Amino acid sequence: MEKKLEVKDLRISFKTSNGKVQAVRGIDFDLYKGETLAIVGESGSGKSVTSRAIMGILAGNAIVESGKILYGDKDLLKISEEDFHHLRGDKIAMVFQDPLSSLNPIMRVGAQLIEAMLLKNKAARKESARNMKRMFESLETLMDKAGCEGSKADLEKFKHFELKHCELHSQYTNAYASAQEAAALSAHLALAVSKNAVKNLSQDIAQLIRACKESVSHFVVRDKSEKLNNLIEVLKTNTGAYQKKDQQGIDSLVKALKDIAAIENEALGFTAPNNFTLGYYLSYVKDEIPNLPVKELNELTHRTVETDFMNAFMAKLQKAVDYSCRQTNEARTRTSALLKEKAKSLTRDMDEKIVRAMFKDLKEQVLTCLDPLEVDKDSLTHTFGSSVDYALDLYYNGEKRNRAEQRRFAREDAKHSRIIARGKVPEWEVIPASYIDLDLAFGEITGTMTEMAAHFDAQVGGNRNANFAARTERIVDYLKDSAQQSVFKLSKGSAREKAIKLMESVGIDEPRRRYRQYPFEFSGGMRQRIVIAIALTADPDVLICDEPTTALDVTIQAQILELINNLKKERNLSVIFITHDLGVVANMADRIAVMYAGKIVEYGTADEVFYSPAHPYTWALLSSVPDLDTKEKLESIPGTPPNMIYPPKGDAFAPRNKYALEIDFEEQPPMFKITDTHYAATWLLHPDAPKMEMPAVVTERINRMKQKGGAR
Amino acid sequence: MNDDVLLSVQHLSMYFGKGPYAKKAVDDVSFDIHKGEVFGLVGESGCGKTTTGRTIIRLYNATGGNVYFKGQRIVAGDLEYRKEIKDLQEKLKGASAEEAEKYKSRIAELRTEIKKARHDQKHADKKLVTKIQMIYQDPVASLDPRMTVREIIAEGLKIQGIKDKAYIDEQVYKMLDTVGLVREHAQRYPHEFSGGQRQRIGVARSVIMNPEVIIADEPISALDVSIRAQVINLLNDLRNSMGLTILFIAHDLSVVKYFSDRIGVMYFGKMVEMASSDELFLNPLHPYTRSLLSAIPQPDPEYEKGRTRISYNPLVDHDYSTDKPSFREIKKGHFVHCNQAEFDRYLKILK
Repeated sequence: MEKKLEVKDLRISFKTSNGKVQAVRGIDFDLYKGETLAIVGESGSGKSVTSRAIMGILAGNAIVESGKILYGDKDLLKISEEDFHHLRGDKIAMVFQDPLSSLNPIMRVGAQLIEAMLLKNKAARKESARNMKRMFESLETLMDKAGCEGSKADLEKFKHFELKHCELHSQYTNAYASAQEAAALSAHLALAVSKNAVKNLSQDIAQLIRACKESVSHFVVRDKSEKLNNLIEVLKTNTGAYQKKDQQGIDSLVKALKDIAAIENEALGFTAPNNFTLGYYLSYVKDEIPNLPVKELNELTHRTVETDFMNAFMAKLQKAVDYSCRQTNEARTRTSALLKEKAKSLTRDMDEKIVRAMFKDLKEQVLTCLDPLEVDKDSLTHTFGSSVDYALDLYYNGEKRNRAEQRRFAREDAKHSRIIARGKVPEWEVIPASYIDLDLAFGEITGTMTEMAAHFDAQVGGNRNANFAARTERIVDYLKDSAQQSVFKLSKGSAREKAIKLMESVGIDEPRRRYRQYPFEFSGGMRQRIVIAIALTADPDVLICDEPTTALDVTIQAQILELINNLKKERNLSVIFITHDLGVVANMADRIAVMYAGKIVEYGTADEVFYSPAHPYTWALLSSVPDLDTKEKLESIPGTPPNMIYPPKGDAFAPRNKYALEIDFEEQPPMFKITDTHYAATWLLHPDAPKMEMPAVVTERINRMKQKGGAR
Repeated sequence: MNDDVLLSVQHLSMYFGKGPYAKKAVDDVSFDIHKGEVFGLVGESGCGKTTTGRTIIRLYNATGGNVYFKGQRIVAGDLEYRKEIKDLQEKLKGASAEEAEKYKSRIAELRTEIKKARHDQKHADKKLVTKIQMIYQDPVASLDPRMTVREIIAEGLKIQGIKDKAYIDEQVYKMLDTVGLVREHAQRYPHEFSGGQRQRIGVARSVIMNPEVIIADEPISALDVSIRAQVINLLNDLRNSMGLTILFIAHDLSVVKYFSDRIGVMYFGKMVEMASSDELFLNPLHPYTRSLLSAIPQPDPEYEKGRTRISYNPLVDHDYSTDKPSFREIKKGHFVHCNQAEFDRYLKILK
């Protein structure tokens, strides 16, 4: 299965006035495509912190001490905030715990739904324009250097008809979207009017007329525009009849609406034109569209472009690609060697100024290794500078801070013992010194360098037998896409249609009416649906649900869980589901990670964790919730989770664990493998450990569940 | 059975607002709680569970119905009387002299009843009412952050007029011990405790009044999983050692099933079904109860894969256009809100 998200050795702490709280202490897990991973644990076990780290919305006092969160080839902890904008909400979306506080009370629900779409569209426009400009500039210089003639003229020509293409394309898509809207709206109105269930007909009719008029274009509603205009007139004259309850008028109104729906639906079935080739044709061959069926027209324009311009242009482009690849390969080999050498020579006692100066040069070197014609951003190279800076700051500031911390601790400790020596009991306690792990920080610096070098080596190796023709095509596609995105303006109307479709898909009745309501007009379950719909507007592949049903009661909880499960199936979403309700986990999860005190203590498929739990903490969790057949006394977990300013030395759960062994208080247990998918961190699984039985409550329940399962 | 009824709720109604726009939070709810039992009240949020509890403990002035505690009326509403007076006054308009006389005397009778009810509501026996205590949902919000635990727990005793400091201290320490806290905790403030400990303080505060009935209003829904078991076990121990009677309000059905002897299911201010907890889960009759039971998730992946939710829509599931429903006993101790046709159908299902 494809891995969507990989979390490796993640450590997160929070700086507070009482000391450093170690919220997450080295966790690893993977999330596969189309599966649900549930994270279970008591409050304060670091579940939410982990999910917030994935979303990049950690609180300001958080320190990421080490670790990686890999999404694709991107490390979410290292990429810049600007790059994160492309992921957060777009690719990774989150549903928060309380729907009332995550919606804006003074904005209509619809406005909140389309807000993100419109903003994203605006940002994409600006950025694509910038990308296109950059690409054209580097293409021009590279083509010159590679020895092609007339590159400037060719590029100008390409740019020119590309813009024509965009214009045609946006005309076509707008008309098509309007036709879609008109078809849906007229069908809806025809039904509603005949059933006498429309509140504000004139407003709806006005919207329909606008959509109809916009749908008239060369490739959408063509020959029947005359007829459509006549029908619009019928609508205008008969709108009043609905209020007066004039049956004849209503009948003609319904008939006109049905006719409009038929025309628009027919128009939606037409073949789409090839706007790119047509753009060239209109710019350089003839300035009007020849009167041919769309299919033949497409063939004609395609032939013209290929022979006239495209083949020669592509050959030139390929030369440029080849040239730039050779150039960057050289730079990469050079830099890789340099990086390896510097990483070896770097020692911990070097002067900060010298090291910083060295890295300044190194960062510039690394940036020269960027292929100017890259289509997919090489995020590791781009973020080399920032991740090195982060590691350097952590190391050198850490050194200073550790010294200061040492001084403070010595001072306070001395004062404390002075008071005790005087025979008094001090009212305050000495806050223990919290040191930053310098070994880890230094390892981070060299690690970043060697990783970068290995990455360059791999790239050079990959370039040796690369397919340059395919690369050239990708560049052309990229240029087309960015040109289109830079002129594509999402209108409010089409955003609304999209939002209404989403509202329907999350199970909200009458989305057209609900669209204009405020959050307080929705019930708890409906509100949570809106939050989920907002999370889905950008079509993410990872959905993080942070206790989405804890604030809701059983019936609504069941509805929301069903909804998330259905969406998961439909869109092949990967879901991270955070909760402390084990019943909900059993319903949702494919795999389960049980967290305690910032660590994953057990990790396995749902069946494994529920039917053969291995960690005492999982036993305790299972035995502390009653199910419908529980009669015996519940086994509560004594005590409270440990204070994470002073994390315990051994197994964090040992003080509350009646199955604890002596070693649990001294050494942290490693992850023991039980099956290929099932791991648990407890010394009980060590071959030398005494045999322990899980609590009777749990065994009995598992037996009961097995019997039930067998009966079915 | 009738002898050991400790708390009897009869036709209790609580409306917020007046006239046709009144919000009927509780509408004609009746049930008895026997001595020493735990009565669970379940339903979705906003169905009037909490309002029922609060009306019983006289935090609201009931609109209609009565609550008898140990045979004494402690809550009295006048809705029925007012309704009857209104009807009679309508009839008076077209009545003959003889009938009018009859109606008038009845109205006068009803007016005195109303006066009595108002008197009872206002002057209920304070000593008796303190025998009913409440535990609130959110331990963070229900404990005064500026009072020490000692002050919080002793407040009830002080209000009762006890001034002997040594006695109060002794009682407070005893209570702390009962709920599993230690003496030193008396000096501390609520914020210094964990969630489970805070809820224990809430329990200690209500138990110090030596109550006979405790109304526990979702005492565990604001708590963490591991702590829930602590609080349930504590309430169970107290019930066994002190012979407490508990009205347990919650929406987590697994817990209610585990903890209660009898369960009442509420839906939009009405009690739709009431039975012993085993009976209710074995033979749920009302469609709402079925839908509620089918929505409970269980910590069992196999079972969860096979579970299908039944949805409930009162417009589809009932036809009350001709025959109005009422609360009927269908089997000994099993009551359902239904009309005659449904009653017959349920009887068939039971057989």
